[in-house]
Amino acid sequence: MKIVITGGKHEADYIVSKLKKEHHQLIIINQDRDFAEYISSNNDIGVFPGDSTKAYVLSDAEAQNADVLLALSDSDTDNYITCITAKKLFNIKRTVAKVKNPKNVELFKRLGVDSVISSTYLLAQTILNESSVENIIKTLSIEDEKIVMIEIGVEPEHHIVNKRLMDIKFPSNINISCIFRDPHVIIPKGDTLIKAEDKLIIVTTPNDQEEIVEFVQKRR
Amino acid sequence: MKRNKFVVIGSGRLGSNIATSMSELGEDVIIIDAVDDSFRKLQESFSGYQVVGDATDLTILENSYIKHAKTVVITTDSDNVNIYLAHICFYVYNVPKIFVRLSDTDKGKLLEGTSIKAIYPFNLSYSEFMDLNDEEETL
Repeated sequence: MKIVITGGKHEADYIVSKLKKEHHQLIIINQDRDFAEYISSNNDIGVFPGDSTKAYVLSDAEAQNADVLLALSDSDTDNYITCITAKKLFNIKRTVAKVKNPKNVELFKRLGVDSVISSTYLLAQTILNESSVENIIKTLSIEDEKIVMIEIGVEPEHHIVNKRLMDIKFPSNINISCIFRDPHVIIPKGDTLIKAEDKLIIVTTPNDQEEIVEFVQKRR
Repeated sequence: MKRNKFVVIGSGRLGSNIATSMSELGEDVIIIDAVDDSFRKLQESFSGYQVVGDATDLTILENSYIKHAKTVVITTDSDNVNIYLAHICFYVYNVPKIFVRLSDTDKGKLLEGTSIKAIYPFNLSYSEFMDLNDEEETL
């Protein structure tokens, strides 16, 4: 793959060293001359010194038609401009921006950046997922946190025990995708009976997650 | 939702003068700048609102009635910030009229496909020079 990496300090250096091992074609642009030289000598690779928000710099570096561009500078605005320039003028297929302000994650995506990474945002999501959940529940987020898959263990005193799925009034926006009844895996139908010690695998959205957890854990 | 506000972002020489003139013409003007001191450039006749803050923060934009803006004029001293703000005003807030000052004429390409209008001091100075030079020669 042809990969362009702009800006960034140690994160750029790290990513370059990882990707180089996998024999990708790397184009590295860095405005900080000292750091450009450091990355260059550290990884034995050419680095273009320059401001990647300027079209002529991307053009000189021959970034045209690259598969991916990673914008890693410390300025959210500059990373946005680099990604949009790459998409609009250089036909770069996928753009990834690093942002400092976690609020920019949703905004940048809405404005056309393909992926947006914020360490604070990721941290917050992880904490939210971990905290809404007790130890018997595991969650997995897919499609950029839009879908969550949760696993809830059913205990004997829960109100849904020994009821058929069709007789339980579940909250909306949830789907019981699978029941794990050791050692069997059951793909449930309406007349499937829920038993104590079952593990329910439920697909839902982050907003509805809390409601379904509370619902399942209601006691008789 | 009624769009009747005139929002100016960046209270430099250009921004503050546009804000003053539009205020004199009876527009409901809101001017935003990150630095409080910048508002000193506004004339006495300015009767609009001043908002101190970073306009790239959506909370500041929304507190400045961006959702009610019929026109936005963007004149901060960074082209990158100006384009970013113009894109936000166009794609997120659907502001009908957006003007943006750009020093680098190349950056105008990022506005293609939008109704955002760019103002290039370079082009204006250049054509002014050519005109003045013509006048001198015809004298």
